Amino acid sequence: MPLAIVLCLSFTMMLSACGNNGNNNAAPTNAPAATEKAADNAPASTENTSTDTAGSPLELAMKGDYKGTKVTMFGPFVDADQVKFENSIKDFEAKTGIDIQYEGSKEFEATINIRVDGGNAPDIADFPQPGLLSSIAKTGKVVDLTTVLDQDKLKANYNQSWLDMSTMDGKDGKIMAGIWNRSNVKSLVWYPKKQFEEAGYKIPETWDEMMALTEQIAKDGDPAWAIGIESGAATGWAATDWVEDIMLRTTTPENYDKWVKGELPFTSPEVKHAVEVMSKIWLNKDYVYGGTKSIVTTAFGDAPKPMFDNPPKAWFHRQGNFITSFFPETAKIDEDYGWFYLPSIDPQYGKPVLVAGDIYSMFNDRPEVRAVLEFFTTGESIKTWVQSGGVIAPMNDASLDWYSSESDRAMAKLVQDASTLRFDGSDLMPGSVGAGTFWKGMTDYVSGTATLDQALEQIQSGWKN
Amino acid sequence: MVGKKKRKGGKTVVNIVLGFICFIWLLPTLGLFISSFRPAADILHTGWWKIFPHQEWKSGKTIQLSKDVDLRQPIEVNGKTYSDDQLKAGVAADDGRLLWENRRARTVNVQDKGWQVKTDVTLDNYKNVLSGKEYKIKEADGTVITQKGSGLSQAFWNTLTIAVPATVIPVLIACFAAYAFAWLRFPGRKTLFVIIIAMLVIPIQVALIPVLKDFTSLGLNGSYLGIWLAHTAFGLPLVTYFMYNFISQLPKDLFESAFIDGASHFTIFSKLILPLSVPALASISIFQFLWVWNDYLVSLIFIGNQPSVQVMSMKIADLVGSRGNDWHLLTSAAFISMLTPLAIFFLLQKYFVRGLMGGSVKG
Repeated sequence: MPLAIVLCLSFTMMLSACGNNGNNNAAPTNAPAATEKAADNAPASTENTSTDTAGSPLELAMKGDYKGTKVTMFGPFVDADQVKFENSIKDFEAKTGIDIQYEGSKEFEATINIRVDGGNAPDIADFPQPGLLSSIAKTGKVVDLTTVLDQDKLKANYNQSWLDMSTMDGKDGKIMAGIWNRSNVKSLVWYPKKQFEEAGYKIPETWDEMMALTEQIAKDGDPAWAIGIESGAATGWAATDWVEDIMLRTTTPENYDKWVKGELPFTSPEVKHAVEVMSKIWLNKDYVYGGTKSIVTTAFGDAPKPMFDNPPKAWFHRQGNFITSFFPETAKIDEDYGWFYLPSIDPQYGKPVLVAGDIYSMFNDRPEVRAVLEFFTTGESIKTWVQSGGVIAPMNDASLDWYSSESDRAMAKLVQDASTLRFDGSDLMPGSVGAGTFWKGMTDYVSGTATLDQALEQIQSGWKN
Repeated sequence: MVGKKKRKGGKTVVNIVLGFICFIWLLPTLGLFISSFRPAADILHTGWWKIFPHQEWKSGKTIQLSKDVDLRQPIEVNGKTYSDDQLKAGVAADDGRLLWENRRARTVNVQDKGWQVKTDVTLDNYKNVLSGKEYKIKEADGTVITQKGSGLSQAFWNTLTIAVPATVIPVLIACFAAYAFAWLRFPGRKTLFVIIIAMLVIPIQVALIPVLKDFTSLGLNGSYLGIWLAHTAFGLPLVTYFMYNFISQLPKDLFESAFIDGASHFTIFSKLILPLSVPALASISIFQFLWVWNDYLVSLIFIGNQPSVQVMSMKIADLVGSRGNDWHLLTSAAFISMLTPLAIFFLLQKYFVRGLMGGSVKG
């Protein structure tokens, strides 16, 4: 008897599981229909806006044409970032009467796919990882901005590199999947400015000078570098930034692009060489605070803290400009700490800069959404945030005068003058590599559980999934 | 006599074992509680147990070595040589432990072991969580203004608004259903019941996207009604099963005599079944309430993060900041979030213990 019940149970289970599958299969057929409808609407509304009115959606919005409308937005800013973001759009909301309902979530990356699949996409989504956007763009659910935004205006306001990075594969052909708003610079080395000058050290201009200074500091009694890559489930990402930065300095930008796309394997000599250059610092116990072993166990946010001890226990920390939010509150920029550009290794590759940023994409095409998106292509949309520090505006019409510290201004200038601008590679690669084997492989290599070749092969295997 | 003594001894053993298990289970909570009162810097650097008296190295006198000591060679301190690594980790010497004080300045510290207590406590963590964090924002002219974030109160009421109906609705429906399955005779009764029980094994994750699609077409996303329905649906199988086990074991004679006296099914249900199943109701309500109160996933998908509807678990997750820089606030936030379920548990505790046996004994 019990056996019969168990059998019966498992059979109904299978039945219900199949039932579910049936639902799942049925559901997507509805979704494309819905998007097609949206696509049908899209050209119609383009014609509307271009024929019967003069001016772009943003100008119309400023005249008050979209008063009382709502635009939903979903992104990863929470806490302090959310406050700063909301401050930066307050003025726009007051002037236009458009209510931007921003929703921030720490689980943005996990949730956005479910929302888009469930037909509950926000009007605008803010992607910190373009790789994620490109996978959604392939499904055809992202509105192509080529016809929505004035391309000449965009070309005038953005470095061409940024525009290239926003072009992605759509369902049929290339589309412009989003626009860049907030950006971060990654090729920075932070150092305790006051003590650095007191000790008589000079900011290195080349990689060799930097290595010589590292050796000098080791002789003086301190490990030069503060490095930590622990970050919970994301442990290892801080190491990927190093590899990317060194790749840009040891090989051509074309090779970098190929590498990011998966055409240049991790096992190639170029990538291997980059990791070897990095290892000269990382695997030398006299150069790293706490020794190589502590790299994997130190949280990336805690890593820079030894620089702020008096006297400093470490002197250099390579990290993007966001790291300042982890610095002690009492430390003052340009006074207690500063940054220098991670020097070039081979002069033939110029001064490449590694950046990251937020790309805003559009899921629902309505006139007021267009207006808001156009607003986000102007420097004005990020002005107050720029003033409060910690972010760089990628738009050309963002004035350098807005930056409230010398340090931030110099960073913005670094981005504007960069010979090569490349986006954080691991964020561009598919998740199985960029947020998977790349993190894991680097962690294994640094902790010593894998040799360099094993680690690179392991990372490369992520492309097969 | 002998038997009694034996039983007494057994009781002591049981008590010791239970006490030990309680201790193990309570230890993390105690640690969390203590941590929530410690300053952020202390939480980052030392464990919570350091607030108890413990032995620690205390810095003593400083030995200045010659400035040009080569750190890669054996280093001589007070006539003995040590390696750099030894001095980094601390090495025992005649009068204490030798440790670099300032490697750059070539000073070595001689340390003694001594008793120490770290007693710094602060209410800052609770202040930040309850009344909102303060954000310092630099203005264009360089002045810094302080903007206050929102506290937990809104999220608390939101969670309560979700949790109470999401507990009452499924329990009520499940009671009706359990009565029907236990005492009414209708065709397909067994099959229906087995299907409901089979639902227990379906993980809610597979249902998220299909349900979200339905909700989108019905316009239920982000509304309280939507999430009540979602929690009700996800909770129903277990609650029904639990209530069925209890109600089906109530004595049959009771209902038969009531029936003969002319009572309708509804009268029997409301006058007899409901009062008799209070223990089971109380305990399954606690389960369901706890599940809804602590839920993150269902809220994340169906109600979202708008401040007007955001629940506690999501608000707390966001407290740590975009890059997790304020994770020390989780200590106090977790403790505050624990208070409501604890209060409810203690209020219904006596029913809870009785009710746990509700589904266990077959009649």
